Amino acid sequence: MSNSKQVEVEKQSFLDQVRASFSNQSTLLVVTLVVLGVVFQITSQGIFLSTGTLGTVLNDWGSYILLAVAQTFVVITGGIDLSVGATVSLSSVVAGWVLVKGLGLDSTTSGSDATPYVLLAVLVSLLVGLTVGAINAFLINVLKIVPFIATLATMGAMTGLAIIISGGMPLQGPNNWELGIPYEIFGIQLPISTTVLAVMIITVICGLILHKTKFGLHTFALGSNAFATRAAGISPARQITKVYMLSGGLAGLAGAYAYIRLGAGSPSNGTGMELYAIAAVVIGGVSLMGGVGRIVGIALGTLVLFTVQSGLLMVKVITVSPSLKQVIVALLIVAAVAIQALQKPARK
Amino acid sequence: MNKRILKVSFAALTAAALTLGITGCAPEKKLTIAFVMGAESDPFFQAMKVGAEAEALAQGVDLVWQGDPSAYDVATQVPIVDNVLAQSPDGLVLIPTDPTGLQASADKAVAAGIAVALVDTTINDTTNAVITITGDNGDGGAKAADAIAAAIGYEDGKTYKVVIGLTSATATTNVGRQVGFEERVASTYPGIQIVDVAYSAANPQTANSNVNNWLTKYPDLAGIFAIDGTNASGAAAALQAKGLTGKIALVGYDAYPANVELIKSGVFTALIAQDPAAEARLAIKTLVEYIKNGTTPSVKDVVIPNVTLDANTSDADFAKYTYVAK
Amino acid sequence: MAKKVIYEVRNASKNYGAVVALDGASLKLHAGEVVGLVGDNGAGKSTLVKVLSGAHSPDGGEIFLEGEPVVWANPREALEAGIETLYQDSGLAQHLTVSQNVFLGREKFVKGIFGKLGFLAKKQMEEEAQADLEAVGIAFPSSNRPVSQLSGGQRQAVAIGRAVSWARKVLILDEPTNHLGARQSAEVLEVIKRAKAKGLGVIFISHTLPHVLAVTDRIVVLRLGQIVRDAPTSEFTADSLIGTITGSYVKEEK
Repeated sequence: MSNSKQVEVEKQSFLDQVRASFSNQSTLLVVTLVVLGVVFQITSQGIFLSTGTLGTVLNDWGSYILLAVAQTFVVITGGIDLSVGATVSLSSVVAGWVLVKGLGLDSTTSGSDATPYVLLAVLVSLLVGLTVGAINAFLINVLKIVPFIATLATMGAMTGLAIIISGGMPLQGPNNWELGIPYEIFGIQLPISTTVLAVMIITVICGLILHKTKFGLHTFALGSNAFATRAAGISPARQITKVYMLSGGLAGLAGAYAYIRLGAGSPSNGTGMELYAIAAVVIGGVSLMGGVGRIVGIALGTLVLFTVQSGLLMVKVITVSPSLKQVIVALLIVAAVAIQALQKPARK
Repeated sequence: MNKRILKVSFAALTAAALTLGITGCAPEKKLTIAFVMGAESDPFFQAMKVGAEAEALAQGVDLVWQGDPSAYDVATQVPIVDNVLAQSPDGLVLIPTDPTGLQASADKAVAAGIAVALVDTTINDTTNAVITITGDNGDGGAKAADAIAAAIGYEDGKTYKVVIGLTSATATTNVGRQVGFEERVASTYPGIQIVDVAYSAANPQTANSNVNNWLTKYPDLAGIFAIDGTNASGAAAALQAKGLTGKIALVGYDAYPANVELIKSGVFTALIAQDPAAEARLAIKTLVEYIKNGTTPSVKDVVIPNVTLDANTSDADFAKYTYVAK
Repeated sequence: MAKKVIYEVRNASKNYGAVVALDGASLKLHAGEVVGLVGDNGAGKSTLVKVLSGAHSPDGGEIFLEGEPVVWANPREALEAGIETLYQDSGLAQHLTVSQNVFLGREKFVKGIFGKLGFLAKKQMEEEAQADLEAVGIAFPSSNRPVSQLSGGQRQAVAIGRAVSWARKVLILDEPTNHLGARQSAEVLEVIKRAKAKGLGVIFISHTLPHVLAVTDRIVVLRLGQIVRDAPTSEFTADSLIGTITGSYVKEEK
């Protein structure tokens, strides 16, 4: 009897280790992705698992993953950032404004000639995003406004600013479309473009920051127990500032991604994106109560979301109306939350 | 129906014209025209503003330009109209965001002796309005069908696959354009199959994703009808990135300057443009004449047709129809 | 017997608006000494703890660490000077592991460039946390387990072990035996004795008077923000201690 108990204990700790590197939620999401892949491959009559569709899925993933990662850091501290979508709009508009109005360029500058300007757009977008993040941190730390309201206010203000700067229209500027086109290596078409690859690298770096560094640890600590974190000599205000600036910076980079994807900075580039980012975070297993979340889960959750979006469009055997698609995506989010709720008591 | 409205309202209009005409004749008083539009963020209204300001200047009247910064929404528009009416303008140009929801606001203005012009959209009972001016979305959709058919070299007996990029199920302008497009296809181009529609939710990145997926799903896709500016931007980017410009007919809506440029570079086959500035100019001109002289317009319900901008359009027309922001 | 005074507060006062929380309180703590700080609710114990730990600045009075006057701008400065505080119910970050909690705010980094970038030496901290907690006699499960999986007693043990292992000069324990069972409380008292043996000055705040009588060398009684008695523990009995806390006469209410 005592032997079997010993085995049980070891099994438990082994499972713990597995869970630590590849959590339950991630396993569930991988299974979901496989099931979705099979279902869509059949219902699309064999075109879903093509580089064309996967390229679009990953392109969408690239548009949203940075916002989902940004939201993950913020939500782990127990906050929320509703301004990420507006930051995408504003940063892409400011980048477009600098190139079109500032430097007098237009879409006739293209190909590799446009690359330096695209990099300038990335830099400008990043700076705009960091600024928005700093404003959010100021509202939360200094004016003591709760994150939901503070970021709701910046969301409105940044949307308005984007409209004013752009005149409500897209600013079409120089673009190197190649950056968004999937690679072909030795005649094999891959579903990954330069922009998607760049975003993947940023996501991995953010994962390392969240799970391997002091910054990440303090982010979890703050969301887990703010009092204990303060008692340990960590300044919550300073951590909040860093987290919201990181969130803003990532949203700014997502604005640059939108600029490269569309060749234009438009005040609608980020419309509604904050809601998808929050949905991806929930599907990816981040607790909206704070303290819990893994970047692997977020990356997979975002992939599930956009697999469904594209998959439903590729279905050939029946006609899925656009309205029905919205219902299905909503049901997916509800299912993800329900599964999480069921998982927790089972673990104990 | 419109003629019936005219007859019924004749007496009321005359009475109103007499009272308003007298006040309008006072020599020193500069007339004030209030203009409550839909949503400031929409380039359509930016272009409308340019026309309104030009006409107000030409007529020598003060213009009070009001409206929600970004939401095209009855709930935010009603209080805006109330505020504007409290300032007692001489005339009101109203873009009603909802035919039922703005009825009371328009009636209130008329009861206060304020002359009302309805622009772009309308309300249920237009009896007391001086003029109604609407764009014709159905006609725009039909023109888009014509443009696609022309671009793909439509021949009877052949089949062509076409998709429509929409914004949402609740965008009313979308519905009018979609119906106009579908009706024209059914009546004139039976070989065109509308194989799919999808929503952009007002985000050009989503519109871009939809078009990219269609390009995979329908390798023989002949044409895309991008029903508004958002869908036009997303579709144009997809074709440019994949090097498919000129190979797939792309007809967009709304003459954003950036998109007009893309007609010249061959990305857009055609753009269907409205003329919001003309709508605004006509509304203000009609109201001023009515207030000053009691003149009612010869046609009360004016429909301003859409125009098709394509590679054959003259530079003068491009300049005329391109939406200009302030 | 002439042990050196390690930590001292003179004439500390603190008002919260019209409420006088501390009214000229003075306290001396020697190295290797356990001082019990007792008083009724609202007597000013928590305020004095916050002044001593650097969480609040006093409105008046001075603080001396090893004879040198000090002013704490924030808790971090006090921590860095060697003063460790376990707040009442502050608890641990329950989503973090035992070792992450032990090292929270004092993380160890890997060597080289990655360490400079903030990468944590996870294994090292786990091993050291394990060793540190064992050294102060805390029974606990493996140090890479999330605190949320521990029992209430285990969590408190980890919190105390953390404070004891980090304290270099002064250890302030605010109600450390609250919500604990008899056996776990006994363990905590053992840990306090070990901290004393280590040469730390310990301030032990508790409502559980038998614990105070059992483990302290001296007892300081606070009432209405003033120190009304400061005497060796041997001069108190359980009854006299209660009498001192509640006043020269015993009130009917609790």
